[in-house]
Amino acid sequence: MNLVSIVKKALMALTGLAWIGFLVGHLSGNFLLLRGADAFNGYAAFLASLGSLLYVVEAALILFLLLHIYSGLRVTLENRRARPVRYAVAATAGRATVASRTMAAGGIIIAVFLVVHVKMFKFTSHQDVNNGLWGLVVDTFKEPAWVGAYIIAMLAVGMHVSHGLASAFQTLGLIKPRWRESFRRTGFAIGWLLAAGFITLPVWCYLVPTN
Amino acid sequence: MKFTLKVWRQPARDKPGRFETHEVSDVSPDTSFLEMLDILNNRLEGESKSPIVFDSDCREGICGACSIVINGRAHGDGEGTTTCQLYMRNFKDGETLVLEPFRARAFPVLKDLVVDRSAFDRIIQAGGYVSVNTGAPQDANALPVPKVNADLAMDAAQCIGCGACVAACKNASAMLFVGAKVSHLALLPQGAVERERRVLSMIEQMEAEGFGNCTNEYECEAQCPKQISVSNIARLNREFYRAKARE
Ligand code: HEM
Ligand code: FES
Repeated sequence: MNLVSIVKKALMALTGLAWIGFLVGHLSGNFLLLRGADAFNGYAAFLASLGSLLYVVEAALILFLLLHIYSGLRVTLENRRARPVRYAVAATAGRATVASRTMAAGGIIIAVFLVVHVKMFKFTSHQDVNNGLWGLVVDTFKEPAWVGAYIIAMLAVGMHVSHGLASAFQTLGLIKPRWRESFRRTGFAIGWLLAAGFITLPVWCYLVPTN
Repeated sequence: MKFTLKVWRQPARDKPGRFETHEVSDVSPDTSFLEMLDILNNRLEGESKSPIVFDSDCREGICGACSIVINGRAHGDGEGTTTCQLYMRNFKDGETLVLEPFRARAFPVLKDLVVDRSAFDRIIQAGGYVSVNTGAPQDANALPVPKVNADLAMDAAQCIGCGACVAACKNASAMLFVGAKVSHLALLPQGAVERERRVLSMIEQMEAEGFGNCTNEYECEAQCPKQISVSNIARLNREFYRAKARE
């Protein structure tokens, strides 16, 4: 399909922002892990009780993610093709960042993570686990390898959002010149705060509670 | 001063190229970069070797003809300068300088350091103009322009179309160039009539030429000899959405 570059970018920006919104909500909810099994399992039961509303949100998130991945990969492949012969000396004027150079690679890590993550906590039964879903999460993170894997995945999220958030506002044309630096800083901070928040949870599960 | 130059030599379009090494010595610090190449070329011609082909015209930083990626930076690493405005005193004595052409699928190399930038001309032909009926000149104050817009339009109009933004961008994207051209006309009443048509057809031509997609890294702004702001890219995006919404 022939999609104008700005359309692909706008799709990526809107779907990416929607996902950042979800991540903020997801992280806030997950902090209930720290309040113990009753609080966390109660929250999970509340979400389940939303019924079809929950399905609508889940379907939208999946659709957004697929659109995001589709346009992201197309943008990346087209950009490769736009410079068939590379420079012998690769230098930057200091604007490029590790994050801006690893958006596609980081995105792929996130995509793999999401499949594993959903399989692990959504499609694994916790009927027979002591303390239900809370117990399943805590038990999982008693395994240091999982803690490590989650930390890596969350660093990828932090990196991706640290460039993506401000980038999305530029793509949507919403940045005024005098706000650019504040947008960049805020996006950077939100990205790494999200990562730090998410990393807290498996580390806490590993160190603190017993199930 | 003394320099080692590693220069990209390519006999013609679609022919393979390679780096060739030349030593230049006794260079006065006040020699301009292009004069240094002229001196080297004189010597090469004296030795019956083919001179290094590069673009230049005004040699005063206003025409946009000169190009060259020097040590990985479009127009070298000076801030807000074209290659023709670089002087050898900007470099370290004994330094090795790697000279490459602007690299992009849309800018094919014609010979050595010269690339074909006519893709930019075709983008301008697609809409980077205003159609006005000629006739008696208008009264000077007939079309009031707010000062803010006049300033922004003037800043955008500084673009000399050299293509450094494309050369600097990791995606070889032309969004800064197109953003500057669309902005400078969209901000002025003269550009209002063709405003929607202009942005859509310039973008269409930009895509057809095979430039990459902008990923908001902003290397273009940092390497632009006229320091054109990436705000013009945000405005280009807005102009595009606006035109699409009215289509
Ligand atoms: C938690 C999930 C994700 C979030 C919150 C997210 C967020 C974002 C945001 C806000 C942008 C910036 C859009 C713009 O520049 O206008 C972006 C760009 C991008 N994303 Fe994601 N993304 C996520 C997952 C993914 C996945 C799974 C992939 C791919 C497999 C991916 C690949 C990309 C690519 C290639 C870009 C473009 C990079 C660029 O413009 O330089 N993302 N993402
Ligand atoms: S030769 Fe005219 S800008 Fe450099």
